[in-house]
Amino acid sequence: MNISLATERRRWQVPPLDADDRWVGGVAAAIAAEIGVQPLIVRISFAILALAGGWGLVLYGLAWVALAFLSPPRLAPYVPVPKAASPLHRHVAVGLIVLGILLGLRSVGFGFGIAFVDQIVFPLGFVMTGLLVAWSHRRDEGGVSAVIRILAGVIIAGGGLVALVATSLRFTDALQLLILALAVVGGTALVVAPSIVRIGQDFDVERQERVRADERARVAAHLHDSVLQTLTLIQRNADDAQQTAQIARQQERELRAWLYGNEPTTPGTTRLEPALQEVAHRVEANHGVKVEVVTVGDSHDLDPLAIHGLVAATQEAVTNAAKHAGVAKIDVFAEHRPDTIEVFVRDAGAGFDLEAIDPDRQGIRNSILDRMERHGGSAYIHSEPGVGTEVELIQPITTTRSDDDTPGATL
Amino acid sequence: MIRVVLVDDHALVRSGVKAELERAVEVVAEAGDVGEAVEAIVRAKPDVVVCDVHLPDGTAADVIAGTAERGVTSRFLALSVSDAAEDVIQVIRSGARGYVTKAIEGDDLIDAVRRVNDGDAVFSPRLAGFVLDAFSADLTSAADPELDQLTAREQEVMRLLARGYAYKEIARRLSISIKTVETHASAVLRKLQLSSRNELAMWAANRRIV
Repeated sequence: MNISLATERRRWQVPPLDADDRWVGGVAAAIAAEIGVQPLIVRISFAILALAGGWGLVLYGLAWVALAFLSPPRLAPYVPVPKAASPLHRHVAVGLIVLGILLGLRSVGFGFGIAFVDQIVFPLGFVMTGLLVAWSHRRDEGGVSAVIRILAGVIIAGGGLVALVATSLRFTDALQLLILALAVVGGTALVVAPSIVRIGQDFDVERQERVRADERARVAAHLHDSVLQTLTLIQRNADDAQQTAQIARQQERELRAWLYGNEPTTPGTTRLEPALQEVAHRVEANHGVKVEVVTVGDSHDLDPLAIHGLVAATQEAVTNAAKHAGVAKIDVFAEHRPDTIEVFVRDAGAGFDLEAIDPDRQGIRNSILDRMERHGGSAYIHSEPGVGTEVELIQPITTTRSDDDTPGATL
Repeated sequence: MIRVVLVDDHALVRSGVKAELERAVEVVAEAGDVGEAVEAIVRAKPDVVVCDVHLPDGTAADVIAGTAERGVTSRFLALSVSDAAEDVIQVIRSGARGYVTKAIEGDDLIDAVRRVNDGDAVFSPRLAGFVLDAFSADLTSAADPELDQLTAREQEVMRLLARGYAYKEIARRLSISIKTVETHASAVLRKLQLSSRNELAMWAANRRIV
């Protein structure tokens, strides 16, 4: 019989009779498959029990009837769970084995006579079974299940004790046997306890390590997707200094965003800093310059529409600086005051004479000055050849709604 | 020549920074963690310590405290990739004379070391932004108004620094001498270091600025 892991199965169900592997009714094979032992062992057990006063035949018949009527219809190939999903399997198996031994002993008689066996051995068997049930413990067992198990064990053991005391003809014998049983069980517990404790500790350590490993795997996955990929790209583009710098800068931004994520707190809003960082990011990626963004007073979430024009104008100003100033670094400073936002875009580059700009080249006029005015703000451009350029954008932030705008800035 | 101790846990960064610095200053020792750094600084007694903010066993603030305890009076320039406000404010408040990021150009770094050596303050635009932010916070519970506010001129200087202006450009723009700009910058730094306000620390802790 093939034993493979079940993908999905109820916690416990009555196994169906095994029509493929049967000697009589398939009962032994079904039980074997369910508790995960060789069918031969079950068959031998039944045979021994059959010899012990015919109990095996009775049990086999009962099991046959039970399995035939109780097992669910066979819709899919029956896949047993080799390690029983529930401790119940174990307890049933243990109980059956104990019962079998007792019945065997009873039929043999030990020379004590059947009365002795019925009055001493059977109750003792119950006691031991109950204790076994109460003490058997699984790591992942839930609290309720454990309580039920212990209660059941105590009831079985208690019943055995009562039977023992109530029916015992020779009380002293019973007491001796009880003490013997307790000694055996106690000794076993002492021997086994340390290893159980150790297993528990191992389990804790293991779980902690799993948590750590999960976290490591998460970080590793992120670093692989981002940083390692980028490093590979850099190696491949090692000859092209500008592209390498650009890739490295982009990765730096992404990593910073991941490490110190600065997300707005309300959905559908934005903060000034992330909006400007995105602008900086885009220009850095497209033009290979460094854009340093400094924001002050950036503590409120804003309606993206309210700063749309400002952000778009900022992008235009930074792009102009990147294209024309001939510098490696552009400074963007934004200050969020109670009723206005001021943005300064500065480079210490070539500079130009504002008056000398060809009226046909509408870049600055349209995209910066007009845009700010359309959004209710204003813009000033200070530039001096050889010294640098600074674009000053002022945006009141109470009454700003506008309809159109050129694409280029997403918020 | 200015004698410098370089503290950074990444050997690669150290060697890069050292190569840049050695064009103009003398790097007398290097260290990779707080313990090593304190020993090296106590032994070498440099003029300036260029110190990474985050170290394996602590921060630049621990190095500053550790060496101050042993009576060394070297000046500190913090050099870091970290832009987090709490890091910057903490290291400045513990006594560093300036803060620059690792993206700084070699010449600017040398200039910053010289300025720290001269007793001046070194502001990157970002640090100036942090300072403005910190001092513009609610002032009602100020314990010492003298310390807890920037003068109008100091604010102006900080704003220009945040906008990316160099000291000499600020001097020109405000029609004051470079010396005066430096005085303002140092005054701001001192206020930041001496300021008693708890909000400053809270402000820094509450914000994580990329």
